[in-house]
Amino acid sequence: MNTPAGPIGQSLPRLEAAEKASGAALYTGDMVLPGMLHGAIVQSPHAHARILGYDLSAALAVPGVRATVTGDDVDYRYMGLVVKDELAIAKGKVRYIGEPVAAVAAVDIETARRAAALIEVRYQPLPAVTAIEEAIKPEAPILHEDFAKYAKIYDAPTNRGNILAHSVATQGDPGKGFAAADVVVEATYQIAAQYHAYMEPVAALAAFDPSGKVTVWSSTQSIFRTQANLHECLGMPMTKIRCIAPRVGGGFGGKSEATVQPIAVLLARKAKAPVRVVLSRVEDMTTMRSRHPGWIRLKTGATRDGKLVARECELWFDGGAYADDSPAVMNFALFFVRGPYDIPNVHCEGYAVYTNKLRAGAFRGFGNPQMSFASECQIDELAKKLGMDPLELRRRNALPKGAKWFGGQEVKETALVEALDTIRERAGWAKPMPPASPGKKRGRGIACMAHSSAFLSTGAIIRLQNDGTIALQVGAVDIGQGSDTALAQMAASAFLLPVEQINLSTPDTDAVPYNSGTNASRVTYMVGKAVGEAAGKVRDQLLEHGAAMLAVKREEVALAEGGRVVVTGGSRRNAEVSFADIAGRSIWAVGGPITGSSGVMAQYLMDQGHTKMSGWLSFEAVGIFTFGAQVVEVEVDEVTGAVEVTRAVCVHDVGRAINPGATIGQIQGGFVQGLGYGLCEEMVWEEGRLANPSFMDYKIPSALEVPAEIECVLIEKPEPSHPFGARGVGEPPLVGAAAAIANAVADAIGKPVRQLPLTPERVLGAMLKP
Amino acid sequence: MTDTRFHAPERLDEAIGLLTADDEARPLAGGQTLVAMLNAELLRPRAIVSLHRIAALKGVERRAGGSLWIGAMTTHSALAASAELRGAHRLLAEAAARIGHEAIRNRGTIGGAVAHADPSADYPAALVALDAEIEIEGPRGKRSLPAHQFFRGFLTTALEPGELVTGVVLLPGPAKAATRFEKLARVEGDFATASVAVVLGLDAGRVTSARLTLGGCGSVPIQSIEAEQIIAGHTLSDAVLKKAGELLAAAADPIDDVRGTAAYRRAIIPGLVARAVRSALAKGAA
Amino acid sequence: MVTTPTISITLNGTRRSIAMSATTRTLMTVLRDDLGLTGTKDACSQGVCGSCTVLIDGAPARACLILTATLDGASVTTIEGLGSTEAPGPVQQAFIDAGAIQCGFCMPGMIIQATSLLRTKPRPSRDEIRHAISGNLCRCSGYAKVIEAVELAASRIAP
Repeated sequence: MNTPAGPIGQSLPRLEAAEKASGAALYTGDMVLPGMLHGAIVQSPHAHARILGYDLSAALAVPGVRATVTGDDVDYRYMGLVVKDELAIAKGKVRYIGEPVAAVAAVDIETARRAAALIEVRYQPLPAVTAIEEAIKPEAPILHEDFAKYAKIYDAPTNRGNILAHSVATQGDPGKGFAAADVVVEATYQIAAQYHAYMEPVAALAAFDPSGKVTVWSSTQSIFRTQANLHECLGMPMTKIRCIAPRVGGGFGGKSEATVQPIAVLLARKAKAPVRVVLSRVEDMTTMRSRHPGWIRLKTGATRDGKLVARECELWFDGGAYADDSPAVMNFALFFVRGPYDIPNVHCEGYAVYTNKLRAGAFRGFGNPQMSFASECQIDELAKKLGMDPLELRRRNALPKGAKWFGGQEVKETALVEALDTIRERAGWAKPMPPASPGKKRGRGIACMAHSSAFLSTGAIIRLQNDGTIALQVGAVDIGQGSDTALAQMAASAFLLPVEQINLSTPDTDAVPYNSGTNASRVTYMVGKAVGEAAGKVRDQLLEHGAAMLAVKREEVALAEGGRVVVTGGSRRNAEVSFADIAGRSIWAVGGPITGSSGVMAQYLMDQGHTKMSGWLSFEAVGIFTFGAQVVEVEVDEVTGAVEVTRAVCVHDVGRAINPGATIGQIQGGFVQGLGYGLCEEMVWEEGRLANPSFMDYKIPSALEVPAEIECVLIEKPEPSHPFGARGVGEPPLVGAAAAIANAVADAIGKPVRQLPLTPERVLGAMLKP
Repeated sequence: MTDTRFHAPERLDEAIGLLTADDEARPLAGGQTLVAMLNAELLRPRAIVSLHRIAALKGVERRAGGSLWIGAMTTHSALAASAELRGAHRLLAEAAARIGHEAIRNRGTIGGAVAHADPSADYPAALVALDAEIEIEGPRGKRSLPAHQFFRGFLTTALEPGELVTGVVLLPGPAKAATRFEKLARVEGDFATASVAVVLGLDAGRVTSARLTLGGCGSVPIQSIEAEQIIAGHTLSDAVLKKAGELLAAAADPIDDVRGTAAYRRAIIPGLVARAVRSALAKGAA
Repeated sequence: MVTTPTISITLNGTRRSIAMSATTRTLMTVLRDDLGLTGTKDACSQGVCGSCTVLIDGAPARACLILTATLDGASVTTIEGLGSTEAPGPVQQAFIDAGAIQCGFCMPGMIIQATSLLRTKPRPSRDEIRHAISGNLCRCSGYAKVIEAVELAASRIAP
């Protein structure tokens, strides 16, 4: 394809910005259907218990109650992306406090909640395990007795109790590598459970039509994963399940897999009426997902002159009561065990473990933030021991272009060195910092990050509409990150049209081609690639029709701005025909409607010869690496240990920025979510009970916890494998933020803090340690 | 549907009558805590008696002898901006300004906050440091209690059934005073992990009296007469401030919660106290 | 003593009589469920997140923490009262133009809060903006472009 022009590279407002600003935008919880009922859930008070029975009589006696649902209403049909271990609603056992065990549909939410409180569930409590160390003891109670029988897409351990995944990988000869090292550092890093805290709690609205087909509107990151999960856990054929995403109020990974859609469908089926289920914040926090907590032991060796020669890693992730994406997240963390550095000898092992707590799952970065925290902190500790500048140590070990990633894929492009050189200048790395405020210590820290953009598969359909505008049908859900606008900009550029002439579809499984989901920083790259391919097919037809209509050769016409095909040379130069006229010809006379479709799959071979792997999920559908660096300055309160981030500089390689304003918005938002991860966010359990299940007790950063300015620099090296030159940027800004802050704190206080988040208490503890 | 009855009397005696007649009736002031509890279904009172129409609970008045009466329904925003809070009384405005966020401060009231008696909230420590009197009215008439006697424990006060907080009286403080409300919170607007309320009486550059109270460090605001005595009348060296802080830390009885452990709170109290006193002095007499 | 089945408020400039189906309904519930004004969002029901912020007699307040029955005679402004999708108000337009809006769920409350700030302080400093919006949580933007949007609105309203 030619170099795209048109609206690419412009910071256009989001297509739906005005409706969001006016309050008119409809999210699932804003939707109302005639005769709609409201659903409320009943949650388990036990971390682990056998369900003995239900008494629904009191709930059913409440006027206005139309249906109840329990485990008795479902079969043992399991769903899940990686391990199929979850049911539509608890049946037989509950495995964490808060797990939905029953639900009620009633004429209003107050009645539904009151009736839900009247449902009696009889339990036989079982011993529970709420920490990794307890879960792996030989005598530990088993969460999933049928684990061996569950369907899985990876090589899972057998007879390992609550260990649901164990992966090992070796590159080079770590023994020899460490023997060659002059300096070795080793430490264990503790990582906490972070809550996604999307502002819109999960919601689903289910309505059956007279044919028995259910339509489910929900707050989801993937209409196709929603459809697949409903199909698996309810046994309904996909011909009877239509999933739609209206406006979605954030996701960050937490809405990738099933939320309350199965419960909404079960209630709607039983009540024979549409049912909307919207969780309260407390219910959302106690039933949905977190980032994986756990610990990482990391050991790194380097030569005296600062060449990294060996690394060893042992990683344990607490997956909670259901596997969800745990094996994949754990593997993905190991995939980044080297960070963006060229370390020739590596051995790593990772474990994911079931415990009787909220499940952990996908969350912006997908294991990489945890690994990057350990790795980037350790690089700083190593730099200190070597007496080297931490930025220089990173630069010296940057993985070069053409080198192989851990696992054996080739890195075709890298901008890490540019990012480091850019940030050195921009952040004034070599210059002294401003003096600390009274009672404060000042420090500066850096972290690098790498992430991937390509993942799994997707498709696009482009149709020329009768008036010469373009219909773009994709399965991507814009969860707020701006993909609708970016994809429309790409399509608009391909046809030299303004974005107003692109009709972007609503995500609807009845109407759009498959897309795996809005995750893994993949939509701009993957769906954009599909848009580019489909657009190429439509352009070909436009040119063919145009040439025929203008009676010139195909080579003599080109697209022109404003929806025209124009003759570019010869005697008929500047003669033109409009897209609308071409559409007319195609549908009334010659050739049939103009449509282009594409299906793309990310495929990047791994190499067992480079990295020996066992117990792994395949990452052959993951690739295209992006790089970045962040520098932060902090002030640490000498009395309280409280950390304030006073400055942040983020340099990210984004390929070509389709919408620079939106790209910067992603970087700033990602950095701040990482700041929360680094400083204040931690779900805390006390004997299996979440101790802080509300925004009152679980704190995300406000505008005052964020530096007054978050400086962003985009490195725009167009990605050669993408029709518009783009790479993904959703996750990288979060991945290294906590590490950059931790390194700045270590610089300020002279000691590392190896536990997230860096609460005032932990920082003060490190300061006071002799 | 909920069957809670709602009353909005215009007279205080009506409100007290309603609350006395039904022990499952709850008074509603600004609602910034009560309604959150209703939303979470932590409470389902049989009746709600809203105080928003009662004129007798509104206003801020200077009284004979220089004391200041603050009606129970006065909002945090009004107090944070009040020109009536001068001298030592500025402390209350400083504390009011740190409660939650603007939208909360616009509705929340001092009477509601005092009656709720959350030890991590901002008013209790400030009111104790100011030797404020809590004005109470109930079925057996009016009475008042010094703030340090009013707060009895975690969410527990001296209020008897049917009684309401009707106002707060600030007695005249030192002629020249310096104040500071020092607060550590996880994020802006959170309840205090720990707070220090300071009122210093000044005379010719000397500290002649001191009131120091800790919030969030026990079930009630924490005081130490010894700490106050060593600050009043002494040259405020680092050693003196450290000693005062240590005395307060010893008097504190904090708990472990999501905002911090008891050990952490004890560890930071001396430093926070020193910082609070130094900040008050740096600001000077108001 | 009053038991209030019906109250009268001025909602977005129009006098309305509101029949209360229950005495303890919050303003948020009445707006969203009874009046269909779903621009006011429910993200925590505890007054912490600010998504339900509305103006009551011109001052920002949490719709989730107010019993509607206490509002007899009050004036309420919701996000719908500041403009429409076709004709956004000046603060709404600045948020659109500055690219401050991502998922949008917090935005009605944020825009209400910013509107109130600019009415009382037409040219706020960056720190004043940060303080004013600190009770409105946003998980997408990192606040940077929100602050820019408020500055843009200020420059347009009070140039």
